[in-house]
Amino acid sequence: MNCSKIEQWLSEYVESSLPAEETQTVAKHLETCTHCAAVVEEMKSILSVCRNYSTLEMDPELVERILLRTSGRPRTRSLRERVNQYFVRPILTPRFAAGAVLAALFLVLMVNVTIPKLKGSVSAMSSQGVLGFIDHGVRGLYGEALKAYETKNEWQAQFNRLKTNTWNSLRSIKEQMDEPVEGRRKSQDGEPRKESAPKEKTSGIYLLPA
Amino acid sequence: MLSGDHKLVERCLQGDDAAWEEIVNSYGRRIYNLGYRYTNRREEAEDLAQEILIRVYQNLKSYRSESGSFQNWILKVARNLIIDHYRRVRRYPQTGGSEELESMNVQDDKLPNPLRKIEQAEAARFLQDGLQALSPELKEAIILRDLEGMAYNEMADLLNIPEGTIKSRINRGRLELARLLIKRRSQNDAGVKGAL
Repeated sequence: MNCSKIEQWLSEYVESSLPAEETQTVAKHLETCTHCAAVVEEMKSILSVCRNYSTLEMDPELVERILLRTSGRPRTRSLRERVNQYFVRPILTPRFAAGAVLAALFLVLMVNVTIPKLKGSVSAMSSQGVLGFIDHGVRGLYGEALKAYETKNEWQAQFNRLKTNTWNSLRSIKEQMDEPVEGRRKSQDGEPRKESAPKEKTSGIYLLPA
Repeated sequence: MLSGDHKLVERCLQGDDAAWEEIVNSYGRRIYNLGYRYTNRREEAEDLAQEILIRVYQNLKSYRSESGSFQNWILKVARNLIIDHYRRVRRYPQTGGSEELESMNVQDDKLPNPLRKIEQAEAARFLQDGLQALSPELKEAIILRDLEGMAYNEMADLLNIPEGTIKSRINRGRLELARLLIKRRSQNDAGVKGAL
């Protein structure tokens, strides 16, 4: 049988869908015809490549574009995308990275400063000693906190005194400003000062009560 | 016709946007890949996928479940638009670009060794080149049968031609591809021997 007749069956032959009789004919032909045998090998290779051909994924932005141009509704985000959008992306910013690096450096520095001190003392202590060390630390912290509280109270008292003095000074200045000019002159000349009915305030300064 | 698809279309026609999104997610990737097989260009495939899905959305009312499955209907719309696109751009044949290399991304974990994997990747590149050299009818037959994995009867329904014609086109397409690949392989081998 000639090659052109055999070639009509080759596609079904490689798919194994050719009837038995034709399959035998093709197999016999392939034993003697190197050309058709090479074509069959190449066809098998093509089918194998096609089976393993990669499938492209659609870009989510393309899906978004399509949805906005059709229904007008944006794409529904998966839980993972939402986590990325609201938590991961804001964290992965240059500012956060710089902060994280600084924090790490600070931590390393603190560990380097404190660990050598602790190493010596902790290794020399028993469990009771460690508890005592912790107790000492807590007492120390409590003492420091008390001192800080007292200092704060002292500063507060000083501030209150200063505030009272300032208010008193301002009140006296205001009273001097409210006194009539003529009355002040007469009193300066040595004449007795007459008591007059209280007038309406003329000064524009209104002080708040202390 | 899958009842699920029919329900989706019904919901979509009643204004349910979530149903439409489901359709886009179900068929978008297939349409996009179909466009990519024809054009061998990612950007063109994206434009085609967008155009096709917009057309599907606009013509959903014209779909009749009695006339066939929704999948076939959507593929018919896709095919018509791809052919229109082909007619528009065929005067400017596409040459293989950087995206040609993407076709080398062969996914097969069962390959025995790296050498075999390289051979497969090379074959994938040759195949993509070879497909572009085929006539539109043969190229379409190979894409639908070998790359999309469609059955003969599905293809006959989609292309509206007898199964015998489909088989003949597939055979001719594979033969042409095989000859082309044999020729290129021998040219490559001659080039390597010349370089040595």
